[in-house]
Amino acid sequence: MNQPLIQINNLEKAFASNDSWLKQWRFQNGKFRHHKDNVHALNGVDLTIYQGETLCIVGETGCGKSTLARTIMGLTTPTSGEIYYLDQRIDHLNNKQRMPFRRRMQMVFQNPYASLNPRMTIYQTLNEPIAFHNPQLTRTDIDEKINVLLESVGISASSSDRYPHEFSGGQRQRISLARALSVEPDFIVADEPLSALDVSVQAQVLNLMMDKQEEHNLSYLFITHDLAVVEHFATRVAVMYLGRICELASTNDLFNSPKHPYTRALLSAIPRLDSNATQPIKLIGEVPTPIEKPIGCVFQARCPYANQRCYEESPIMLLQSDATSVACHAVEEERI
Amino acid sequence: MNLLSVNNLHVSFQIKKQELAALIDVSFTLNRGERIAIVGESGAGKSILGFSIVNLISKPGFIKSGSVKLERKELTTMNLRQLQEVRGKRIAMIFQDPMMTLNPVISIGDQLVETIRSHTKITYKDARNIAIKKLQHVQISSPEKRFDQYPHELSGGMRQRVIIASVLLLNPDVIIADEPTTALDVTIQAEILQLLLDICHDNGVALVLISHDLGVVSKVAERTLVMYAGRIVEEGPTLEIINDPQHPYTQGLLNALPQMTLPGQRLNQIQGSMPSLTERPTGCAFHPRCPYATDKCQQEQPNFIHSGVSSVSCFLVEDMVNEFADQSVEPHE
Repeated sequence: MNQPLIQINNLEKAFASNDSWLKQWRFQNGKFRHHKDNVHALNGVDLTIYQGETLCIVGETGCGKSTLARTIMGLTTPTSGEIYYLDQRIDHLNNKQRMPFRRRMQMVFQNPYASLNPRMTIYQTLNEPIAFHNPQLTRTDIDEKINVLLESVGISASSSDRYPHEFSGGQRQRISLARALSVEPDFIVADEPLSALDVSVQAQVLNLMMDKQEEHNLSYLFITHDLAVVEHFATRVAVMYLGRICELASTNDLFNSPKHPYTRALLSAIPRLDSNATQPIKLIGEVPTPIEKPIGCVFQARCPYANQRCYEESPIMLLQSDATSVACHAVEEERI
Repeated sequence: MNLLSVNNLHVSFQIKKQELAALIDVSFTLNRGERIAIVGESGAGKSILGFSIVNLISKPGFIKSGSVKLERKELTTMNLRQLQEVRGKRIAMIFQDPMMTLNPVISIGDQLVETIRSHTKITYKDARNIAIKKLQHVQISSPEKRFDQYPHELSGGMRQRVIIASVLLLNPDVIIADEPTTALDVTIQAEILQLLLDICHDNGVALVLISHDLGVVSKVAERTLVMYAGRIVEEGPTLEIINDPQHPYTQGLLNALPQMTLPGQRLNQIQGSMPSLTERPTGCAFHPRCPYATDKCQQEQPNFIHSGVSSVSCFLVEDMVNEFADQSVEPHE
């Protein structure tokens, strides 16, 4: 196995809900008490990302996928827990200390219409990070670098003085990728980069991402809810539910023998083309909001296999015989 | 008698002095209780088609020629008052983003009641009872409580259920659903699709599903229309289109799906992108992206011909069909 690149230990992130100060007071037992609601976006995430792999994170809206990505990138600070890049701890760094890591970790965002500055030409957009991180380069060096970069993502270098609105969604997403690649990172976080694109354009961007991974030995953290893309692209998959990882497995193992009840339901819900597909497993209810820190298993309210132990005790990630890890009492007790 | 028939519909946009064609010669029919799907990339004209069925095209767009008939009634020439009798009551629409469709400052109950009372003369109390019944019908738990809640208090899947309930209030004959599940998670998507299917089945409602997700289409629709650059390029039973696509564009769309290639392999992409309205290519609009394009494709527009159970507009298929016809004739001579 390759070397671990990013290591995350017991990461937690709680956002204070933005109730007004007056609303934070409750009348309890004859006294006013100050009480603040927290949204627990991440509840103890442990994860290792190896060099050169593509780790996909899947889960429903509100499960904390994007918060995890943003916390790793240092766009939000975690409430507790540790993040290591190779051997250096990178959470709780200030902006100046973080600067060398900014160059090595880059991000591609979901909406290419919002993530490119509409008032900067493509040249300016790419020039900024290159010039900032490589102050020793001359103007001609930078120009040449930008041209090579644009050509490498399939955009003609002659269009570098055009503005983002002159490009289509797929082209914009390729420019976003070019911007991320411009500082030669080792690690790219892609937060739903394909969800705003059509199938055929999706294929173009996905192919490009795979090419770049081979060329530069990149590691990807790829966040998506499209399981067909995951099956095609990922080396390993982490399934998240309500701020926790409930199953972590290699792509093959996950799709062939999903273990966690949530993973099973998720996989059965993919609309597949073959007519004799399985009936989707129906989950009762929707993802609960993570205002209260859940007691017991996070999935208990929707799980068809839940028993008393699931309501009381939070399951931990246990390594299974085929090297996957699952956090589920039912799997542990071999009830399913 | 077809419930809905669209014939040679042309829709254009007047931008400055230029007239841009958004829909060209679109024809299809829909029977009572039938479920059809319209697929294509963004910019193909799927949504414009959905809008023009209920004559919701507003300036600078206009219906240039052609007809849309609901049974015997012509919709393209109706005035606003007549159209309001059709919209909602006979043909209802579901849009992609339920948050945009619902009014954020009015409780969902009041929005439902308003819908009923603007079309029928009944008291608030009766309308409320109908609304609650419909909310129950779309499997919303504790509908009495939800009735007084505002859209932001509901989750995305819940909101789409409310929209479906509001569409059902007036018992329409046709539901046009424009990407109803695109904004939703897979598990919720599966539930909403099942709900739509059940509703169509139980009430005999016809469904026009507009989608770019071929997986979704294969689950819901009996017949599929594939659109490219404002034209229908292929039409046929959904299973046939998915298992044996004839038009190179349909083939490209299906081949681009990740499940069509082995994991780790490069995906089959369609080169280039959908042309914009201003730069429509001559001849067959797909020819710049088509791997089989010939000189003929650049100059002439192929006709819509029948090939097996589907209809395709492509010279490649036309030639093949002609060749086959010649061969089958020869032995007799």
